[in-house]
Amino acid sequence: MNPETPTTDGLQFTPSPVWPDWFRSAQQDAWNEYLATPAPTRKDETWRYANIKALDLSAFRNAPPIASEGKLINASTGLEAIAAKLVFGNNALVHSQTDGLPAGVVVQPLDVAARENEALFRQYFLSQPVELGSHKYALLHKALLSGGVLVHVPANVEVALPIELYHWVEGANSSVFPHTLIVLGDNAKVTVVDHFKSADGAPAFACGINDFHLGRGAKLDYVAIQDWSADTLAFHINSTVCDRDSSSTALVANLGGRHIRGESFSKLAGEGSRSVMLSINPLDGERHVDQRTLQDHAAPNATSDLLYRNSLDDKSQAIFSGLIRVEPGSKQTDAYQKVENLVLSEDAVAHSMPGLQILNDDVRCTHGATSGGISQDELFYMQARGIRPDLGRRLVVAGFFHSLLERLDNETLRARVAALVNARLGVE
Amino acid sequence: MPALEETEKPDLNLDRSVGDFSYDVQYQYDAGVGLTEATIDYICDVKNDPDWIREFRKDGLRKFLEKPMPTHWASHDLDNIVFDNIRYYLSQGTQPKRSWDDVPEEMKQTFERLGIPEQERKFLAGVEAQFDSEAAYSNIKAAVGEQGVIFVGSTEGLHKHPEIFRKWFGKVIPTGDNKFSALNSAVFSGGSFIYVPPGVKVKHPLQAYFRINAESFGQFERTLIIADEGSEVMYMEGCTAPKFETSTLHSAVVELVALKGAKIQYVTVQNWSPNVFNLVTKRGLAHEEAEIKWIDCNIGSRLTMKYPGVIMKGRKARGEVISIALASDGQHQDTGAKMIHAADETTSNIVSKSISIGSGIATYRGLVDIPPHRKGCKNNTECDALLINTHSRTDTYPAVVVRGNQNATQHEASVSKVSAEQIFYMQQRGLSEGEAMSLAVNGFVNDLVREFPMEYSVELKRLIDLEMEGSVG
Amino acid sequence: MRGLHQEFLIYLLMSLVIKNLTANIGDQQILKGVNLEVPKGEVHAIMGKNGSGKSTLAKIMAGHPDYTVTGGEVLMDGENLFDMEEPDERARAGLFLAFQYPMEIPGVTIANFIRAAVQARLPEGEELEATDYYANLYAKMDALKIPRAFTSRSVNEGFSGGEKKRCEILQMAMLEPKYAVLDETDSGLDIDALKIVSDGVNALRSPDRGFLVITHYQRLLNYIVPDKVHVMVDGRIAMTGDKDLALELEAKGYDWVTEGELATA
Repeated sequence: MNPETPTTDGLQFTPSPVWPDWFRSAQQDAWNEYLATPAPTRKDETWRYANIKALDLSAFRNAPPIASEGKLINASTGLEAIAAKLVFGNNALVHSQTDGLPAGVVVQPLDVAARENEALFRQYFLSQPVELGSHKYALLHKALLSGGVLVHVPANVEVALPIELYHWVEGANSSVFPHTLIVLGDNAKVTVVDHFKSADGAPAFACGINDFHLGRGAKLDYVAIQDWSADTLAFHINSTVCDRDSSSTALVANLGGRHIRGESFSKLAGEGSRSVMLSINPLDGERHVDQRTLQDHAAPNATSDLLYRNSLDDKSQAIFSGLIRVEPGSKQTDAYQKVENLVLSEDAVAHSMPGLQILNDDVRCTHGATSGGISQDELFYMQARGIRPDLGRRLVVAGFFHSLLERLDNETLRARVAALVNARLGVE
Repeated sequence: MPALEETEKPDLNLDRSVGDFSYDVQYQYDAGVGLTEATIDYICDVKNDPDWIREFRKDGLRKFLEKPMPTHWASHDLDNIVFDNIRYYLSQGTQPKRSWDDVPEEMKQTFERLGIPEQERKFLAGVEAQFDSEAAYSNIKAAVGEQGVIFVGSTEGLHKHPEIFRKWFGKVIPTGDNKFSALNSAVFSGGSFIYVPPGVKVKHPLQAYFRINAESFGQFERTLIIADEGSEVMYMEGCTAPKFETSTLHSAVVELVALKGAKIQYVTVQNWSPNVFNLVTKRGLAHEEAEIKWIDCNIGSRLTMKYPGVIMKGRKARGEVISIALASDGQHQDTGAKMIHAADETTSNIVSKSISIGSGIATYRGLVDIPPHRKGCKNNTECDALLINTHSRTDTYPAVVVRGNQNATQHEASVSKVSAEQIFYMQQRGLSEGEAMSLAVNGFVNDLVREFPMEYSVELKRLIDLEMEGSVG
Repeated sequence: MRGLHQEFLIYLLMSLVIKNLTANIGDQQILKGVNLEVPKGEVHAIMGKNGSGKSTLAKIMAGHPDYTVTGGEVLMDGENLFDMEEPDERARAGLFLAFQYPMEIPGVTIANFIRAAVQARLPEGEELEATDYYANLYAKMDALKIPRAFTSRSVNEGFSGGEKKRCEILQMAMLEPKYAVLDETDSGLDIDALKIVSDGVNALRSPDRGFLVITHYQRLLNYIVPDKVHVMVDGRIAMTGDKDLALELEAKGYDWVTEGELATA
């Protein structure tokens, strides 16, 4: 699906023949704008404290076709009972299993969606502005996009079992551009799990975008399990728009990667809507996770609830910059935002910038940021039970994440993520 | 100009209606409008500055011109300051009077209306009163002076105590810290110079009073306080200006140095009129086991930008910022705190409460920084905002940087309004809606008001009542 | 040990012996020479005023990092506790401390926590059999009237005072220590909870186990009847007697001990 010969001297604009002409010309425009847009600097408020040097893309190239297709398909197993599964390797669809879907539900690659569901695609694909800093990289994503998925659940349809999506990257300096577009009709319900994985330990570049659109009364449970190789630079840009009385719960688990820039934007567009934004980030080595969030209250009576937790070992670094914005008419807003850093080593660094912009008086808004080490008393208590300090520490860290996972309604999903966190931390 | 009216004198004169008058003063020295190197030379000549200060000022001017307006994060209202229209130096001479009788008549009337001599008699250890660019009156009680405490204007400090002055001047806040500290460095005049010798605990507060009288004027006072080992001092400043048609600029730099075990409390009640741009840089350097506490209340001005800071450079140093901001219709109080934990076991505390009325905007900006390899550092930050009207606004932008696993920080912020049930409850007891609102707002800031000296806290409550009048309905 | 009387040697190998123990927190001396012996199979109580040093003694034996031992030793069946640097080594060697204020550990379930502690006592490479473990855990929970649903709750998080203390006794039951130190286990318990906790402790009394029960009030000793009662005053054991001493203290107050001490001095 990627007929262009890959080049070794950086990313090339090679429009994929899979797209309809109109989209290819939009990609050409995006590429031109990408080239014309200056790279971010730390003076930009959305890049405060960021490690700009880590964003050097010169070594990366357009990904070649995948070599170990069968192996990757076999490795794409997570939950036991699922409604559908799509597997992408280096941007190309290599496996599709959609027989468990209720009638009318669409789970298809975006290029197919651009033809078969053109109206939906045009209405929702990249329809939200990228405001949190990575505008330039969103343009790059659009220009080089060849894979990606549309999940469309029509009004009043519930998909009981989760839909799993796997996005693999393979080969040294390969670049992938995962995209998950979820459109839920009124009162539709679905659970989607995105897996981001590396076939090898090679350096790679990922630039992924999600667009979620929830119709009235719709419910979305979303989990992203980011497990790129330890030498991957990745952007993950998310936008969620919640219409009246809809409810979204999204968890991002950053288990892998070298440098991750995450941007999450939730727009409470309809009265009574709700967005829960969760993230867990067990960091070690020289890993760096830079997350920027916006909870935009554009309607009355809406709720947003953000909780991000980072554990920082070795020389790892975390940046959290969040904003709750309550627009003038958004009365009876209930907004919460909290980042908690558990710092485990002397050289780890945690930056916290929780922000509020409140333009209406009828609100209940709180935010908080805490940073600190493991309490000596907690550790002593464990040791007094005979648990060795190293394991005690890891148990505390695992517990720190598990208690956040309690916020996931879906028990199977919760157990799955908990198991991955335990494996990551070396806790049984 | 409003005519002078006979009004009853309040205890302290922070009420803007009281400060809203001005006199036609014949200035002996006037640097004219606009800022060039010639302006600097004029100021240096009038003040008889030594060469190193002339150089310092010119360096300040260069840095001021180089630096862009910080509008990438700050209010775009800053772009409305027309630096070319401002008068940078106005005075009737550089020698402050020691006796109240020697103060020129118009100034005397001003300060008497504002209650300064009365306050001095009542509870202050010393007073300095600045009228536009220079101190008009400066006095310290004999008993305090005999302890070796120096309390003079910055000009006098520079001339008479160069050995202490030069050692610390510009060391806590470098000229190029920001555009406005650079501007102050170029044209500074007035402000206080205080030195407290080792072990001396100044019992009563030292007070400075800053008054802008002239239209389109910029006041750039520079205050330097040095508390030597084990000493203690409290300094209070009050600020007012009349309402003019054109905007006025107040851009002070305040540097505090608390040597080992010393304590400095710096109390500000700012009640500028609503056309003053109040852009102030305040920072303290706390040595081992020293304590610096900023107690700050911002009620007036058009735009206030002020983030008092403490650099804790000695082990077990402590820093604190207690701040109340009240943003009325059309005002923007952009305040906050900076805490730099440059040594082990340093602790800091920030408590900020703001009230936004009408279209007022209250912004909190904070920075808490724990550099690499520090141990046992702690910060606690609490920011609470109260919104009075539907279109009132509050913003909170803290940044907390923690390195290492042996430190702890905690930041919490909340936004709320006065509950309708609470107001109803009080109305049912017979209070008017306005009274009930006043009471609720006073309750909101009550725990912080108590941190102010008694004389100020009574006045603060009264001021809040005044501001709340007509804010409901 | 050569030259020691045979009988004493056996006694030493069957006791918790505290010898001339002195300890500081910061620069302040808290323990000023504590001497005490708890033979296996016995229950000893330490009573004393707040601040007398009795809780400090418990924490020092367990190895709390806030305290510095400045002299003396604690021998557990002949083995010097202070040769074991880390608190977990001492715990695995058989010392159990029931905390006055048990810590909350968010996100770590009771089942997983106790399991990790039991696993830590097995030789390297040996895996705890899950079914055996749960059978054992449930049996002990039933005995302590702890609902089984508790296993999936985070350790001590959101527990009532009584639940926390029962959870401590459950851990003691599961870890089967040689010596258990109960630090103010009765604090914050109503009478029903006190009975349940005491029953739990009494069920664990055995010829192979010694108990040191630290308490401020005599009340607990109605339920856990001690073989000996020691009174701690200002960092030292000021008086030792049988269980009736506790009643006497209840009636006369702690000052009576100090006065008595002064009188005999």
